[in-house]
Amino acid sequence: MSIAVEFHHVSYRYGRKFALQDLSLSIPKGKATGLLGENGAGKSTLLKLITSIGKPTLGEIKVFGQKPGWKVNEQIAYLGDRAQWYKFHSIEKAIQYAEKIFPNFQVQQAKEYLDFMKLDSKAKVGDLSKGQMMRLQLILCLSRKVDLFLLDEPLSGIDLISREKIIDLLIHLLSEQEVTIVISTHEIMETEGLFEHLIFLKEGKVVKSGNVETLRAREGSIQHIYREVFQ
Amino acid sequence: METRVVGPLTFTIDFSIPLYEQIVEQIRHAVARGEIALGKKLPSVREMAQNLKVNPSTVVRAYLELEHDGLCEKRRGQGTFITNSEEKVQKIKRGLAEEALNNFVHTMKSLGIDKNTAQQWLKEMDWQ
Repeated sequence: MSIAVEFHHVSYRYGRKFALQDLSLSIPKGKATGLLGENGAGKSTLLKLITSIGKPTLGEIKVFGQKPGWKVNEQIAYLGDRAQWYKFHSIEKAIQYAEKIFPNFQVQQAKEYLDFMKLDSKAKVGDLSKGQMMRLQLILCLSRKVDLFLLDEPLSGIDLISREKIIDLLIHLLSEQEVTIVISTHEIMETEGLFEHLIFLKEGKVVKSGNVETLRAREGSIQHIYREVFQ
Repeated sequence: METRVVGPLTFTIDFSIPLYEQIVEQIRHAVARGEIALGKKLPSVREMAQNLKVNPSTVVRAYLELEHDGLCEKRRGQGTFITNSEEKVQKIKRGLAEEALNNFVHTMKSLGIDKNTAQQWLKEMDWQ
């Protein structure tokens, strides 16, 4: 199994609180990894450290064998909680804008995804529902030609149809090409079939991880394991 | 449990058991019952993944296992096909029947019913 991202004894502290504590993990290359945990478990912090939005207080992180930073960031597309797009732009315009600001942005890909996600290119960004907005953000993220996608909570707080469409697009992407995707979520229902690898995060520590089918054979459904871990 | 249809195949997915095993198992049954004809093309990996809402690698793994069994064969650039060999299907049928018989014997035993009685009852069963 080749590795995309490695954490060695990483701690991250802000103020007096440790968001991550002596955390070691590896994220396999070419697979969809689920980062599961409750709110405040450290999922977002972990993803941010990969993109060097923060620096670990202790420990070491390697992304494709390199230290996190602007250089390796060129190979990463990150969907954070506060991606900003101009409200007065139409979706079409937002795509043109994305092409300007992102290296390796594939306009054709974005347009294809737009149809797939049933979004109207003439619609104004400011008029989109929360779910539609997440669909757009996901399209803009997944249309970049990179080696690693980091999606922070793409399924939280949005409608069922949008959640399903997002899963469909992710499965579509995985059928097209071998990509490394890390998705943090606490929405288990829709994602049972999606992941190949799982990492359970609790209070800044990895409490369980492994191949999904192996975990399933040993312990049952992800939902069941999730309950066992977090109850 | 969720029922999902992909082309000629119907799957019931239980998320507490490895998914590729269920795909393998249910395709075996579909072939044995004649729900999908010999020599027919299986749905593409993409179609299966999209409809079952599973990672494509799960489908790839299931198809590999079916190939390994000899129930399917992969043709370069064309996809995965059900075997043309009646013999192989018979073998699969035999395997599934044996499995059912084992379950039957196991249940009878657990009910404390001896072989002779069970055989007698089986003879009296209405097969229609």
